[in-house]
Amino acid sequence: MNTIITSLRRTPYQTFAALSVLFFTLLLSGGIFVILTFLQGLLGYVETRPRVIVYFQVKTPEKDIFAIRDKIKATNKAIDVTYISQDEAYKIYEEFTENDPLLLEMTSPDILPASLEIDALKPEYLPEIAEFVSGMPGVDEVQYQKDIINNLLNLTSSIRKTASFFFAYLMFMSIIVLTTTLSFKIALKRDEIQVLKLLGATNSYIRAPFVNESVTLGIMAAVLANIILIGTMLTLNTVLATFFAGIPELTISLSEVQLQVWPFNIPFILFTLGVTALFSLFITLFSSYAATNRYL
Amino acid sequence: MISFQQVAVRYPLGNVALEDATFEIEDNEFVYLVGPSGAGKTTILKLILHELVPTEGVITIDDFQFSHKNFKRVAELRQKIGVVFQDFKILPDDSVFENIAISMEIKGYPTKEIRKQVEEALALTGISDKKTLFPAQLSAGELQRVAISRAIVGNRKIILADEPTGNLDPKTAWDIMNIFKKLAISKTILFATHNTDIVNSLRRRVLVLKDGRIIKDNKKGGYKL
Repeated sequence: MNTIITSLRRTPYQTFAALSVLFFTLLLSGGIFVILTFLQGLLGYVETRPRVIVYFQVKTPEKDIFAIRDKIKATNKAIDVTYISQDEAYKIYEEFTENDPLLLEMTSPDILPASLEIDALKPEYLPEIAEFVSGMPGVDEVQYQKDIINNLLNLTSSIRKTASFFFAYLMFMSIIVLTTTLSFKIALKRDEIQVLKLLGATNSYIRAPFVNESVTLGIMAAVLANIILIGTMLTLNTVLATFFAGIPELTISLSEVQLQVWPFNIPFILFTLGVTALFSLFITLFSSYAATNRYL
Repeated sequence: MISFQQVAVRYPLGNVALEDATFEIEDNEFVYLVGPSGAGKTTILKLILHELVPTEGVITIDDFQFSHKNFKRVAELRQKIGVVFQDFKILPDDSVFENIAISMEIKGYPTKEIRKQVEEALALTGISDKKTLFPAQLSAGELQRVAISRAIVGNRKIILADEPTGNLDPKTAWDIMNIFKKLAISKTILFATHNTDIVNSLRRRVLVLKDGRIIKDNKKGGYKL
């Protein structure tokens, strides 16, 4: 460890340049990673609550609505079908407008439509159920979360594409800077490397101090980036809580394991730390290997 | 055992560094390589160390055999050989102790064993009191002793010495020779020099080279210019 610290201290500007670039890369990558997992969690949340709402014309008899409800249940594509009568709709409307009595005065139960709330078994059944009920007698309007899901899918896809480009660019830039920095150091030690080779040193023995130094820089950068990242996440926790008041938690599935991404928690923070550390390890190992390879 | 069979080193522009070199050196044998500058002494040492690849012929060192073809066991081969370079090749940023220890670290010796063998080598070469110093603080003779110490630690069976007394005053040169005399009991030594006094003082086998050819193999020792 002393050897690594001495070597880093002997080349302060190169060390600073490499550390800065690595820190910047890991901070941005970590930030993008958190946003992506968060959006993935949100998408999963919306997808697990697929719902079609069928509004009926006000004159539609209840027995017709029940007949439709039974037909929907018979398709086996719905987990649950809930009937909301005109009176129940009025009660819901009452709750919504309790602060605005004027609006309530202008409304009566007989102008509000009865409806069926259909929870689909899978998100992909939503269009099928919607199409199935839309042609039935007495149906006035069919609504489902197609647009919300599509928008979220589009947003996640765009962010994923942009993030991939950023990841690639940042990684390329970091590798170039780190490889160049290490190459300078190796060039200064070319004679020493030559002597070591003549004494019988293997390539891995010669490579080891440069790899260790590079990995140490990576660890330092990862720690710094994560301190800022975790600080930001903990600060945003309270701010985001107001926006996602109705959502108790967001999770993503990692093969068999469900990881909670919201509210931010210790396992998720540790997961983010692990991902940035692995990313850092990949960059530093690749750079040191590329830099030393030229001289071995 | 070291064996050269019709080994030649020719450079692309037609220069010949070594031609038709055939000889064998037994284990624990002390052999002088003598001849004027450019005769091929260093070429032979470089070939043994695989720093140079023969353009013709086959070299065998114990169970290692190589020719002009690709040879992948270079590090393994070199770990059997200790080298005393003419220009010392001491690492400038490491202390005397570290410079010697590195020869064993490369071979993966444990720290305790490294400390023991380095102390012994320092005592043998008479520089125990210099072990914490850095190369810049040492004289040429002391640097040469560090180089010899580095070559003998770590159970290296073969010692290649390329003009180890070349840059030294006569007294230091004799001191160095006395160290080699002690080493000659248990190691194969190839000693390149053009110092006739040194060769004649220790009557051992002499390979005489001229213009890249071995012109004499004097097994009884002794050499006259």
